[in-house]
Amino acid sequence: MIASLLPSISPGTLLAGGVTATAASLWMLLPRGRSGRAERSSRWLGGLLGLAALAAFIALGRRLGSVGEDTIFLVVALVAVVSGAATVVSRSPVYAAIWFAMALAGVSGVLLVLGGQFLGVATIVVYAGAILVMFLFVLMLAQPAGLAPYDRVSNEPLLAAVAGAVLLGILSLSIGRLAADPASCCAVPATKAALLATDPGAGPNGPGTVDLLAADHVARLGGELFGRHLLAVEVAGVLLLVALVGSIAIVSRGAADDEATDSRRATP
Amino acid sequence: MQNFIPSPTTLVALAKIGLLIGGLMTAAAYLVLVERWMAAWVQDRKGPNRVGIPLTKIRLFGLGQPLADGLKIILKEDFTPRHVDKVLYTAAPLVLLAASLAIFAAIPFGSSLPPIPALGLTGEEPLLVAPGLDVGVLWVFALSSIAVYGVLLGGWASNNKYGFLGGLRSSAQLVAYEIPLGLGLLGVVLAAGSLKLDAIMNAQASTGIWYAFAQPLGFVVFLIASFAEAARLPFDLPEAEQELVGGYHTEYSGIKLLLFLVSEFLHMVTAAFLIVIMFLGGWHLWGVTGSGPVETWTVALIRFAVLSAKIFGVILFFMLVRWSWPRFRFDQLMNLAWKVMLPLGLANLVTVAAVEEFRPQLVAALGEGGARAAAVAIPWGVFLLGWIAAGVLTPSGTDNTPIRTPEPLDAEHGLGRRRDLVQA
Repeated sequence: MIASLLPSISPGTLLAGGVTATAASLWMLLPRGRSGRAERSSRWLGGLLGLAALAAFIALGRRLGSVGEDTIFLVVALVAVVSGAATVVSRSPVYAAIWFAMALAGVSGVLLVLGGQFLGVATIVVYAGAILVMFLFVLMLAQPAGLAPYDRVSNEPLLAAVAGAVLLGILSLSIGRLAADPASCCAVPATKAALLATDPGAGPNGPGTVDLLAADHVARLGGELFGRHLLAVEVAGVLLLVALVGSIAIVSRGAADDEATDSRRATP
Repeated sequence: MQNFIPSPTTLVALAKIGLLIGGLMTAAAYLVLVERWMAAWVQDRKGPNRVGIPLTKIRLFGLGQPLADGLKIILKEDFTPRHVDKVLYTAAPLVLLAASLAIFAAIPFGSSLPPIPALGLTGEEPLLVAPGLDVGVLWVFALSSIAVYGVLLGGWASNNKYGFLGGLRSSAQLVAYEIPLGLGLLGVVLAAGSLKLDAIMNAQASTGIWYAFAQPLGFVVFLIASFAEAARLPFDLPEAEQELVGGYHTEYSGIKLLLFLVSEFLHMVTAAFLIVIMFLGGWHLWGVTGSGPVETWTVALIRFAVLSAKIFGVILFFMLVRWSWPRFRFDQLMNLAWKVMLPLGLANLVTVAAVEEFRPQLVAALGEGGARAAAVAIPWGVFLLGWIAAGVLTPSGTDNTPIRTPEPLDAEHGLGRRRDLVQA
């Protein structure tokens, strides 16, 4: 792999190079409404730069020890990252939505590999299965005659690319710092450690760790949600109920107005 | 790099996947033949009974028919119209088939095998591709919601008004009926206390009370919703070729159409699996299968046979319904989902939650057996009440008169509601 061919470069250089390449590749890939030839060559170059950025970030992850040899993890993570980029740079909104669905599938795969089964499947059910389908409905119904010009061009491609790359760099930097100094990130507070030590579900790494792949994964998650975080769950539920009632009120008021005007028109 | 010799667990998992996919595809082909026989039986005619071994006169009751049909549709021209969106047009059937096959990762197809020391398997080997998955029911739910993509994309990519409207129609149906389906699932999950389908079967086997008896309302809601999710009559609006010019696969032909049709058939098989596993006791049959762990191959085979027989029975029921009922109209379909199925599903969920919550009090008041009887009797009471309420309260959507009477066009009212249009 390219990652193993870059042993001599320091992590800082790798990060800087990766961020720069990401910004440049995103800027080139974003649709800017140019003519066919320039657009195509820019996209090719942007794709190559994007691959270089990916290689830099994988090498960086290897160096920091946060990317292992796990093939399945690498595959799903790559699916998530590449589809995420494709979501942003697609020119057709329908394709952007499909790429977003792919990104969600990748993220859900990452969560499954890491043992967060409930979160992984819930991502699919909630985002891909419900929200995105509504998006697709709207997108497909909105422009049956073809794309409007404003959908084919991205606003502020340069600022967007730079902002995204900088955010990525800062996140990687902080994660790298945390990985280099495990004491500050992964230590469990004393009371919690004591609680976990008495926990029968304590993980394979001894007391203080939680076995995420425990057989009763969802039951433990549910107990936690409806035990300690009951208030938050209830508040979220009430909020959703209010939104539901509100939307029904808006719709039915619209219908009532229609009927009122209809009856006014009907009686002279 | 690690060595490339797969571990026994990987090998067993691969063997299960191979068995499952091979079995499902063969079953799908032969179930089509069964469906045609069923149609012939209902309509009092002879079904396909000719195709046997080629170049001989042996007919074999028409058992060669699926092979001939498959060969024919695979060798058909794979025609792609010029006006379609090629990428999504190709991807749509693949998405649908992949989703409907991946569902089976979490669905058990038997109880389990006894330990096989020769292969290094010391424990019971569950007949389930992903036994470690603790979110089985949610997995099934997630992948059946992915199936909407295939339908929606197929309709949109066809770039054809009838195809697109068909895609919207079927995806609206699938999205609407996911809610009663989920409510039916939730009742069972609540009662069994697990999202694992094999644990749900074990829970039914250990008490001997199948959830179809303990939650009749949930069973009916789930059954109807799974008919709609599988797009079977009376809910087969996705392909209403007689009156709505087909549906999302109007523009498809050849192998791509085959993929769509196979996925729809697999949805029916999935629905039959779920109905049996969640409501009809799975591999359990009183006095035949026992309910403890599997120790001998005989028990394993009997349980497998019981589960398969039940599933086949449910599939036969699906087919019989297909040839016995007319199709719903779209507004009737939506009314049924939102005004009947949803409240009934909620009523079932509340009943189950109440029974489970107050079970200790029931046991204290009535004793163990009495509590068990009450836990069955209360849901049946709610079932009857719900049935009566649904019959009395829901508007009958069967009349075909227009909903709004047209405005009179007499002189006194001018042109009625049209007047403002004339003025404008």
